[in-house]
Amino acid sequence: MGVILKCRTLGFKYGKTQILENVSFEIESGLFYAILGKNGSGKTTLLHCLNGILQPDRGSIEIEKQNIATMSRKQVARQVSLVPQEHLEVFPFTVLDVVVMGRAPFLKMTQVPSNNDYRLALEALKTLASENLAQANFNRISGGERQIALLASALVQTTKIMLLDEPTNHLDFNNQYRLLSKIKELCRTRGTSVIATMHDPNMAILYADRVIMVKDGRIVVKGRTEKVMTTTNINTLYETQTVAISTIGNKNFFLPESAVAASNMME
Amino acid sequence: MKTTKPLIISLVVILVLLFLSLLVIGRFEISVSDITAMINALFSGKAVTGELVSKQLVFCWIRLPRCLMAILVGMGLSVSGAVYQALFRNPLVSPDILGVAAGCTFGAALGLVLPGDNFSLIYILSLIFGLLAVAMTVGIARLISVKPVIVLVLAGMVILSFFNALLMVLKYFSDPYDELPSIVFWIMGSLSRVTWNDILIIGPVVGVGLIFFLLLRFRLNILSLGDVQSKSLGINPSSFRLILIVTSSFIVALTVATCGQICWIGLIIPHMARTLVGPDHKRMLPVTALLGAIFLLAADGAARSISAAEIPVGIITALTGAPVFAFLLYKNRGSGWV
Repeated sequence: MGVILKCRTLGFKYGKTQILENVSFEIESGLFYAILGKNGSGKTTLLHCLNGILQPDRGSIEIEKQNIATMSRKQVARQVSLVPQEHLEVFPFTVLDVVVMGRAPFLKMTQVPSNNDYRLALEALKTLASENLAQANFNRISGGERQIALLASALVQTTKIMLLDEPTNHLDFNNQYRLLSKIKELCRTRGTSVIATMHDPNMAILYADRVIMVKDGRIVVKGRTEKVMTTTNINTLYETQTVAISTIGNKNFFLPESAVAASNMME
Repeated sequence: MKTTKPLIISLVVILVLLFLSLLVIGRFEISVSDITAMINALFSGKAVTGELVSKQLVFCWIRLPRCLMAILVGMGLSVSGAVYQALFRNPLVSPDILGVAAGCTFGAALGLVLPGDNFSLIYILSLIFGLLAVAMTVGIARLISVKPVIVLVLAGMVILSFFNALLMVLKYFSDPYDELPSIVFWIMGSLSRVTWNDILIIGPVVGVGLIFFLLLRFRLNILSLGDVQSKSLGINPSSFRLILIVTSSFIVALTVATCGQICWIGLIIPHMARTLVGPDHKRMLPVTALLGAIFLLAADGAARSISAAEIPVGIITALTGAPVFAFLLYKNRGSGWV
């Protein structure tokens, strides 16, 4: 275990609006990081800065002690993969066609994926128990299935760092837990570091090793999940009142007070 | 995985058969025996005699280059269209989206109106204005630089309407008995003016362009996913876009400068190919090139043999292209892009 990514005093402006300010943290290999924050707090912008899609105005990002500003796109793509939130193709590619595109950083300019690359793509789908999707039209499957396909594409990219933008957004109740368990397993077995933006604090409590709380483009709290996921911190982050509702093992889970009140009203 | 080999072989066979049969079809009658006589004369070193002299002239200097040009232009326009559609992530884009064709047309019209009857002046002006139009489009898009794809398309619309307006000015001030008809005829597109010189210019450009696009076939797949995905897969979309736009604009500008505007090919042929073999450019680009060649060769054959007077081939492609496109829209309903 060591530090694989360092983010130092990161700042990002979109036009005149400051989206991120003075964001610093370190990512250790093999751990699951959850980024929590309200809508519009700058979570996605932060992810896009981490793999160089957006260039920060201030600060730096280092992957294995190398500043990504000095790395080529291809070099970055071999270290960091991204699973975007929602994606609709223009052309009716098959799911396998989309998954195999994750091999791009390992192909030369004029190369096309080999049979081996297709085999890896199929394996990635199998890992996610979705090999039946391989020949389906990517545009005609559900949002959740698309998310699984994009995750498979990130898997064949075999990077040390995986960025997930709200990975459970379109997934059903069971698939949410199945997918996150799978991702957590990858952290442990492959030593992949996962950085995921999330909306549900309880999901972060279940799966994340570390939590980074972002508010108005700044980090308010970061640290070990069990230490930072307290009523006070969650209340500050979402500007609401929450209560600890139940405990599994040594983990507390939370609901907003308004939800508890509404549920009591029904009785 | 589906194999496209049988399809490609049958398309090549169709193309060759069509090419050979169109060499003997036309208002000026040249039979197969005439052609064998010419070839015999060529190999035996004897001079051709009698009626065969004029036949040889028509065959070698008009019909053969014209049929070859139809193949080259058909391939060039359709493949450029396929590349543009991938680049702009929009299946309704055709190669003149960035104003190439509008610029070329204005340049040619300017050449027609200017004093002197110099055909190479028309050609050069057309090429210059076509490339200038693309340069202006790309330049404006660079100035704005947010949402690169949408801005490029919008900048293209600006430049396109600007050159169309300039063209109207020219039409308005041109001589209605002499210059105006030649401008209008030029705009409609025709392969009737083709010479071996044109082939020597366009042949290598289309050839190199096609090879270049084919080599980048997998990158085109990735670019069609959009900028965010391309970047996270290790590709720099803006530099690729620039190289591909320059290459295909050059092909389109050259074809418009020689043959005028031949519409619809760049739009419908990539769709046909996609319907047949799917969107993967590895399979789709070769099929696009072959279909484009077949389509324009057949359209040109019809243009020069349907009626006593030659019809501009642009009319034929537009007349057939529109219903074909409507059919393709119907056929592809629900596949995600309509």
